[in-house]
Amino acid sequence: MKSGHVVTRVAEQQWHAMEGDRVVGRGDTSRRTDGRTFLSVDAWHGTVFDRLAEAMLADLPKPLYTLVDETDLDLTSRWQRAGFTTWRREWEYVVPTTSVPVPPPPGVTMLTFGEAEHDPLRELDLVIRAEVEAGPGWHEMPAEVLPGPVPLDPSKYAVAAQGDAYLGLVRLGPVPRRPRIGLVAVRSDARRRGIARALLTHVLAALHRDGVESASAEVKESNEAALRLFEGLSARRASSNLELVLR
Amino acid sequence: MARSSGGIEVEGTVTECLRNATFRVELENGHKVLAHISGKIRKNYIKILPFDRVLVELSPYDLNRGRILFRYRN
Repeated sequence: MKSGHVVTRVAEQQWHAMEGDRVVGRGDTSRRTDGRTFLSVDAWHGTVFDRLAEAMLADLPKPLYTLVDETDLDLTSRWQRAGFTTWRREWEYVVPTTSVPVPPPPGVTMLTFGEAEHDPLRELDLVIRAEVEAGPGWHEMPAEVLPGPVPLDPSKYAVAAQGDAYLGLVRLGPVPRRPRIGLVAVRSDARRRGIARALLTHVLAALHRDGVESASAEVKESNEAALRLFEGLSARRASSNLELVLR
Repeated sequence: MARSSGGIEVEGTVTECLRNATFRVELENGHKVLAHISGKIRKNYIKILPFDRVLVELSPYDLNRGRILFRYRN
């Protein structure tokens, strides 16, 4: 592999490594709505990766984050070589849809996708958001759970309701063949009643009726309640993502 | 999704998910390559499954290897 690649910042969030007039590597950054900056580098050779990472790290304020598949040892070691260390791990579960639906607690009803009304769903969304901000913070949430408020599409939500009040929700991402369970949340004053489990089994049963065999979900390694919830539904760990940080 | 690369880009279908975050992709011309996913796909938590239609950038150093730049919706 030849050395002496020229790395240029070609845009605010983009770097190119050039070999002659050919692009042989790219680096990108994106700023998540929780304020964190994530990096990615695509290069065919380790030396180009190192040059790009070096240039990007010199240009950008820290802390910086990146995401790797834990089984991708090559990529992980390249980032570690650049000084990154593990910040947290998320397990990716494949969840079979064959679970027997668990009945909700007395007085609680399940609303399937598209049945929830927008305004009480927005109210629940705001309550959950306030609890995130007062508790773990947005950086602890999955990437798709954005600080808000954001537009709500009731067709993507299943909801647990008690009377007119909404207590919990499951949001489903419409990924082909294996939908993604993007968020399971129950307001804090309604927890420990089995609502999340009932909601989730209700959602899985609906998917099963539609011919879907499995869904996917990412769960943070330290979220023991969520790990128990999914593993209790015979979900299996398929892979894991590492969030790496450079401080 | 901006994906200018300067490399050869070919559409294909994922036939197998392998270890080490690698996928086997059959290109439109029948050629099979081993492909990793691009950093942008990884950062956006886009999952790649068998039968997914994808856009692959071939390595200029080894035409049996590639990088998945984009997953089509259908």
